[in-house]
Amino acid sequence: MIRVDGLTKVFRRPRTFSGPFGALRTLVTRQYEEKTAVDDVSFDIGEGEVIGYLGPNGAGKSTTIKILTGILTPTAGTVRVNGLVPWRDRSANARRVGVVFGQRSQLWWDLPLIESLRLVGSLYDMPAARFEASLKKLRDLLGLDEFLDTPVRQLSLGQRMRGDLAAAVLYEPPLLYLDEPTVGLDVLAKEAVREFIVETNRTGRTTVILTTHDLADVEALCKRIILIDHGKVLFDGPIDALVDQPRRLVVLLESAPEEVRGVSRDDQGRHVFDIHGDLPAMIASISAEHTIRDLSIEEPDLESVIKGIYAR
Amino acid sequence: MTRVGFLFALAYRSSIVMTCVTLVAQVFLLRMIWTAVYGSRAEAAGLTLEALLAYLTLANLQSFATQTLVSRVIHHRIRSGTVFFDLARPIGYLRQMAAFQAGNTAGSLLLLAPVVPVVLLVGSITAPVNGPGYVVTLVLGYVIAVQLALLISLLGFWMLEIGAVSLLYQLVSQFFAGTMVPLAFFPGFLGTLAEVLPFKYMGYVPAAIYVGHISDISGPLLVELAWVAGLWALLALAWSRTHRRVVIQGG
Repeated sequence: MIRVDGLTKVFRRPRTFSGPFGALRTLVTRQYEEKTAVDDVSFDIGEGEVIGYLGPNGAGKSTTIKILTGILTPTAGTVRVNGLVPWRDRSANARRVGVVFGQRSQLWWDLPLIESLRLVGSLYDMPAARFEASLKKLRDLLGLDEFLDTPVRQLSLGQRMRGDLAAAVLYEPPLLYLDEPTVGLDVLAKEAVREFIVETNRTGRTTVILTTHDLADVEALCKRIILIDHGKVLFDGPIDALVDQPRRLVVLLESAPEEVRGVSRDDQGRHVFDIHGDLPAMIASISAEHTIRDLSIEEPDLESVIKGIYAR
Repeated sequence: MTRVGFLFALAYRSSIVMTCVTLVAQVFLLRMIWTAVYGSRAEAAGLTLEALLAYLTLANLQSFATQTLVSRVIHHRIRSGTVFFDLARPIGYLRQMAAFQAGNTAGSLLLLAPVVPVVLLVGSITAPVNGPGYVVTLVLGYVIAVQLALLISLLGFWMLEIGAVSLLYQLVSQFFAGTMVPLAFFPGFLGTLAEVLPFKYMGYVPAAIYVGHISDISGPLLVELAWVAGLWALLALAWSRTHRRVVIQGG
């Protein structure tokens, strides 16, 4: 469904100057600075997949999404979305994708929610019957009825996000880009958003690309993640493979020796062992030689694994 | 989008009501001043006081009716980043914005309607000398006003701050539309400038046709059509350049 090959985006901006006449110099300068936002990124995404597209702030996630929606043209590389080149077949591509930016809203701030949805219906040429049917489904699924006629500025963040989701899927696009759809939401509202994504993916075979900093979203929704940083793909594969690591035993020893069984002391004075086989025997043999002051067992989790990858 | 523009006008009705109050006050003040200026003279520059007052009343009504909000909305959407959604729509950007403005004008006119009798009472009006000619030139003038507003708005994609530019544009366009002083009174160079600029089609030309100061409308009509066509081409060119910048630089 999506095929991205060697995608690169370089932004070229006039150099900015500081100092008393900095603004003027910036205006007339012929010096440019280049910033590579996306660097030789390749991936394939199949129909109906839910992908976690992850990376720290400024990693190039939003730039990729803007290219996939056809708003930006890449500097190099090829992209096919449903067989279309997004920036060349912009209008046809636009009809087949829905976008939510958690930090911004596509809803008209001063108008009742329903008006923004009507606008979407008309911009995407939805016949009245199809619009009504789709709206009815979303009203039930997202519980829109209680605030459909309320101006968007008076909605809570959770309600607004539900409205944004409704606007993004109203015309039933087969592809959905969700950029931080749970940002700032409380636990219940996050749960509602996740359930909606699962439901949309299940019933409509909608492909979802999800960008988020909340790894609980990823664990709840995605089987596969693509991890990028500094514009480069660091990891692309199933989450299971990423977290498929042994549990670890963390001990703090009274004597704090330099090294125990080939494991050296870390900066907090602890020793961390990978657990293979018999855990009680392992603990017993350590306590036979050393006095254990504290002990804990760490499960591998996505957050620490991802932190480890970024740190490389 | 037209509907959104219309509702937008109703959502901001208090600001439009204030605008209406300003309009009434302005027409009233202009009437006082021009009546004093004329004194006992019967006419100046071929205009009787009666025709002049009717002209001023009309020109101001028109100026308020052809005011555009679209550049402010565009500016706001660029700064807040919500322009992303407009650009991601299957419909062309300028078409969406023009539709918004059309709806917004319709909404404003609806709110302006009850004030019209008051304005006519405060000002003065005569029967139209050439009604159809008035309507046609005014509608074309409105199209020119929207085209110019869109053109100014595109600057927002290139500059971070266009507040001052818009304000300057508003002042210049109102002045050269002849809402304070009819263009027939502009001296020498200023008169030539006003004659060449397109702003007169939003105020002076239709109003002068209404009061019979301009009798042959074919000339102005042709020039108006040329402006509409020329601005259309210019807008298409400016948008393609702006859009190229947006897709390359990310705006």
